[in-house]
Amino acid sequence: MPTILGELTGFEAKNNVYMSLHPVIKILVPLFFSLDVLLIKNIYSALILVLLVFATILFAGVPLRILKGFLILITSISIFIVLSFILFTNVPGNKLFEYTLLQVDAEKGTLVWRISLTDSALIKAGIFIFRILAMIFTATLFVATVSDRDIVWGLRDLHLPLGFSVAVSLFFRGISLFLEDFKIIREAMMSRGVDFEKTSLSKKFMLYVNALIPLVSLMINRSYEVSLALESKGISPWTKSKRHRKLALKRVDLAVFVLGFAQLLIFGVI
Amino acid sequence: MTAQVKRKITWMHIVTFVFATAVAYVLAVVSSLIFPVLGAPGVSALYVAAAIYVPLGIWMGMWGALAGYFSCLFLGLYPSGYTLLQSIVWSFADFIEAFIPAFLFRVLKIDPDFTVKRGWAAKLFPLFISLGSIILLVGITIQVLWGSLGEPFTSIYVYSVYTGLALALLGLLIGLLVGDKKTWATYIVGVVLTSFISGLWGAGTLTIFNFPPPLPSEAFWPVFVGWVAGDLIVLSVLSTALLVALTPVFKRTGLYVEKWWA
Repeated sequence: MPTILGELTGFEAKNNVYMSLHPVIKILVPLFFSLDVLLIKNIYSALILVLLVFATILFAGVPLRILKGFLILITSISIFIVLSFILFTNVPGNKLFEYTLLQVDAEKGTLVWRISLTDSALIKAGIFIFRILAMIFTATLFVATVSDRDIVWGLRDLHLPLGFSVAVSLFFRGISLFLEDFKIIREAMMSRGVDFEKTSLSKKFMLYVNALIPLVSLMINRSYEVSLALESKGISPWTKSKRHRKLALKRVDLAVFVLGFAQLLIFGVI
Repeated sequence: MTAQVKRKITWMHIVTFVFATAVAYVLAVVSSLIFPVLGAPGVSALYVAAAIYVPLGIWMGMWGALAGYFSCLFLGLYPSGYTLLQSIVWSFADFIEAFIPAFLFRVLKIDPDFTVKRGWAAKLFPLFISLGSIILLVGITIQVLWGSLGEPFTSIYVYSVYTGLALALLGLLIGLLVGDKKTWATYIVGVVLTSFISGLWGAGTLTIFNFPPPLPSEAFWPVFVGWVAGDLIVLSVLSTALLVALTPVFKRTGLYVEKWWA
């Protein structure tokens, strides 16, 4: 069964060892990394976490071209984080740069807007950026290695209610359905003569906005179909137990779990 | 005497809520990247996601508010980079945003009828409401930040408040001409109220009160102004279009929730 990322882009993780891990373990590994993010205390632990998640991505065989797509996202977030620390805050530290942006003489004083860059501000911005990088890598690892079925089976094995497990699985399915629908609507607009290449950014935005109504309309249709399918199988949202295929934990699963838990403890200490 | 049918939560409610959360999440990520508010990851000056869950709140009550909450929670975690605890607190901003219009419609027992009788009024009122509220907001911000410095800030504040209020009131009057007066008045008041209150909670939990606030307190005003302005534009333009087009569909398919859950 294709993974969530496979459904979206056609690219999947290739490493057979990682992909054959128990669904619970494939859910827990990214969860451990997400918990690490909360334990980051300084720029060194943030950098170590980024490298650790990246190494796991490489081990799992996630195609790196997927990460290339996130470059614009990471760059834009990084720029805005650095700018926020320069424009709106005054973090104490060694001043590297200072400039008065605006000065207005008023009746009872002077309004001064000064931008200043300190070494501490850069370190703070660095921690923020590394944390976001680690989160994006973790999210990529999760969606590239887990399928809809893995989510339902994994969450059921963790004794979570069926309604909840199905809802989580549908959330990821919903994202891919939304992007699919969006492509269809975009093509429909193009077939009616809309040229997205030559349209200005503001007009392009309005065109996308116009697509919202058919998108929500399609979403309602999808909800109707999926809920009918669930009801026709006799599953109610409040079903307490529904038999599902149980997979046994192998030695390699236990080893990965121990490693994941150990690194979580280490991050709690350093 | 007619027996009242007890409505129950069905898969239809849950699945629509989950799909709406997914759609709102994708739109939230895209909006916060394309139209960011400087200095605040996850905050957008044109938060298109609100156009999904706020109408959903009017149609489906608490399900819309929950879609707002969870899409914001996920946005806070990925890719904004806030901690789980910070995101849990911050996300109530989007819960409030969908909850207030839903609450107004339910507490006033108004059956939403967004039929447009005068098209020109429907196109014009968002402009007046948004522009008036934004001018008012900018005036208040200037007074709070630099009012103590006296002129010219005091005059800017006074003129902004008068101009902003006049434009917003004019927008409300034009809005009443669009169609059913009760529906449109409740909706317009809801949009303005919810933008300010969710902006207060959203900007406040990012900069002033959280565990700990992820952004410096100096960033409150830029984030607050960007948040409210973005919400006003999105809600008065995009949500209105969705409500006009899809309210009959929700009523027809049985998805419309009269109370809070079913």
